[in-house]
Amino acid sequence: MANKTTTPSSSEGLAEAEKVTVTIDGREVAVPRGSLVVDAASSLGIHIPIYCAHPKLDPVAVCRMCLVRVGKMPRLQPACATVVSDGMVVTTQSPEVAKVREGMLEFLLLNHPLDCPVCDRGGECDLQDFAVRYGPQTSRFPITQKSHAAKAVVLSDKIELDQERCILCWRCTRYYDEITGEKELVLVRRGIDTVIDSFNGEPLTSDFQGNLPEVCPVGALTHRQYRFQARPWDLQRTKGICPECSYGCNINIDARDFEIKRFASRDNPQVEDMWLCDRGRYSVEKWSHGSRVRHPLIRAGGEVREVGVDEAVAEAARQLGEVLRLHGGGAIGVIGSPMLTNEELWLLQRLARETLDCHNCDHQLDELGNVSADEHSLGIAEIEDCETVVVLGAEPEANTPVLTLRLHKAQLRRGVEVRRVEHDASPASLGIKGKRLVGVIADEVHRAYAADMADALASGNTLVKRLTVTRGVNGRGAKDMGMLPTQGPGYSRVTGGKDGRQILHAASAGAIKALLLVGAETVLRGAGILAEKALAKVDVIIAIEPRAGIVANAASVVIPGHTYFEKRGSVTNVEGRVQRVSPALPPATAAPQETRVLAMLAAALGATGWGTGDPFEVNTMLSQAIDAYRGAGNGGRALWKRQGEPR
Amino acid sequence: MTLSAASRSEIQGYKARYPEPRSAVLPSLWVVQHELGYLPVPAMREIAGILGLEPSEVQAVATFYSMFLDKPAGEHSVVVCRNVSCALRGADELAAHVERTLGCPSGGTTSDGQFTWESTVECLGACGGAPAIQVDHRFHENVTPEVMDAILGRSRSQPAPSVGGESEAASTKQRGEPKTAPRAKRTSRPKRAHIDPGDL
Ligand code: SF4
Ligand code: FES
Ligand code: FES
Repeated sequence: MANKTTTPSSSEGLAEAEKVTVTIDGREVAVPRGSLVVDAASSLGIHIPIYCAHPKLDPVAVCRMCLVRVGKMPRLQPACATVVSDGMVVTTQSPEVAKVREGMLEFLLLNHPLDCPVCDRGGECDLQDFAVRYGPQTSRFPITQKSHAAKAVVLSDKIELDQERCILCWRCTRYYDEITGEKELVLVRRGIDTVIDSFNGEPLTSDFQGNLPEVCPVGALTHRQYRFQARPWDLQRTKGICPECSYGCNINIDARDFEIKRFASRDNPQVEDMWLCDRGRYSVEKWSHGSRVRHPLIRAGGEVREVGVDEAVAEAARQLGEVLRLHGGGAIGVIGSPMLTNEELWLLQRLARETLDCHNCDHQLDELGNVSADEHSLGIAEIEDCETVVVLGAEPEANTPVLTLRLHKAQLRRGVEVRRVEHDASPASLGIKGKRLVGVIADEVHRAYAADMADALASGNTLVKRLTVTRGVNGRGAKDMGMLPTQGPGYSRVTGGKDGRQILHAASAGAIKALLLVGAETVLRGAGILAEKALAKVDVIIAIEPRAGIVANAASVVIPGHTYFEKRGSVTNVEGRVQRVSPALPPATAAPQETRVLAMLAAALGATGWGTGDPFEVNTMLSQAIDAYRGAGNGGRALWKRQGEPR
Repeated sequence: MTLSAASRSEIQGYKARYPEPRSAVLPSLWVVQHELGYLPVPAMREIAGILGLEPSEVQAVATFYSMFLDKPAGEHSVVVCRNVSCALRGADELAAHVERTLGCPSGGTTSDGQFTWESTVECLGACGGAPAIQVDHRFHENVTPEVMDAILGRSRSQPAPSVGGESEAASTKQRGEPKTAPRAKRTSRPKRAHIDPGDL
């Protein structure tokens, strides 16, 4: 399994398009040459049961569940490993095939503990489902004679293994071989004694273990976090985007009784390719804890008053208006967060610049320098098309772990050369010449080095594309929306203002007299004592904040905010892919969503033409304002003109 | 380091011999078992280190083959075949007898460190003389409990012979080496010692 370096050549590209016609259960279908029988059948809606086969793994054909009759071949063939040929005739539904399926399932169930009632997989288990659909409905084997193996083996702090439930399909070992390359699980011993285990039973250390229960077709590998938490039919599923980093992994959010129970992968081949990292997958718990702000509050003279939203908005507008009149917009600071949606960020910077005449706006605290749309021209999936990828600085993937898997895949499957170099490596020393497409990947801090590297490597025949790893789920969107101190929407030139840290310094020095903070609790917490000083010094603090904390405690007006999983809108991932999010949980407050509150605030400050602040309406408005967002829709990439090209 | 410099360099040699380091796992495991008599965990880790593999890959191979030992074995090895032919000719009773006599279950080692025995092996290929056993990799056929007692008693007083019967002298590799016997057997048939009850 070591070498599957296939470099796509143009001739292969042609072959890919070529179709062959096969007949499956009497129905003809044209499928691309090289397709597997199992996939050809599924394109006709014909289900062939599989265990060892997996869409992202190479076939091994070890489980024999998928046997079908192929033409005149003397024996039944594994559909998962048989490649179609022109004129092939396949039979998947016949007494012969049915008998084999029944026989395979009888074998698999021979020593299976049949503990579905206490198995986490019950209800979404392929063994359960196929046994019902294709299996013998009774057992010829006395239950007392089953051979037993270890149950609830703790493989790590994240994963548990039930060796009795394992059907030895090798998916988990192949996942470690082919997807992460870590080889942490292997088959130990042989024959009836074979079990899955790690070396010497030592704990797994991979950062991608959470994918194991998803590749396992049965309940052998399970999440410890999700143990005994729910049945699939108890869960309410919402499509979403992982909250932990800016990679934008597509997830399903499974909630039970208004509490998120797990994040499951939702295969998007362009982004995470169905693999999630453990940091993201197991961040579930963060969303069920923490105390919330539930009612609008006005704080005056040491007294806190619960008020209605309208009153809170009016008071906020009055306080901001007063500072604006007395000291001008320069005395106001606006800080958002990379956890906000594009719609919120776009309205927030508009409110600052247009309504409050304020240029001090940022979504984070670090000095970012000049940001350009060029820095995310390389798409995630495009990494596989590069000839060479230069990775600058120490592990930019630390911020977006799943990127590691894409780089691994590019190397293993497509033979892409991945060069890891110091952030200040000299381009000439890399000896990269005459390549067609080169990718340069760096994190935000090394943005400028990456730009220099890209410029130096680019030449007539070499196209260089860049990927800059942003921080925070919508760290990219925040920049696209212009929630930056020196750049407006679409990286437009605007009057420069203070960045996040400068705002806090100016606030603690008394130069900034009002703060408008939207979802900024986490951002400010990162600033430690500086934030506390600023919050103690400034009198007018208008906060839209979902969580109780230093911001809500200090604010003169607090309007309850919504957490990431309670709102509607869009977020943009590291490569500029605009993806929709919708509420997976009911809001903890009756206050309207941030976009509406911002529109109300703008209206109260005398602005017109803001509409209702409905997220969809705002999205339409911002797509008109920012060219690149026009064609992105839901799930497409915002396409920016390359620098130097006419806009 | 668990392994001697000699073993390490022998493993290096195997690594150089094959295009894929994985191919060197099996011979490397033999090297270790020859040196130490079994395959301790640190040694498997060391093999992996030398070959540039994950330790788990080495363990997967090591546990697949029943002739590799994961714990120190006794001075003498006793294998009782219980496959079809032998089973029909009283192998189960024989195995039960061995278990009683040695006082440990199949796969175990006697407390005095003299015998390691097992009865979960595939057909020994001696069906014609079933029930068949191997003691220190030498065949004994048509074995009865009485014959078994005699063989065990005789072995107990001696060190394990080295394979092939040419030299009875104990060497340092003695305990590991017998494990290569099946291979030697094929090329040099006369070395296979068939002992009939009458010989005793
Ligand atoms: S643990 Fe699951 S994925 Fe791994 S071999 Fe067993 S059944 Fe297959
Ligand atoms: S799915 Fe085809 S052999 Fe396992
Ligand atoms: S069955 Fe025992 S030697 Fe063949």
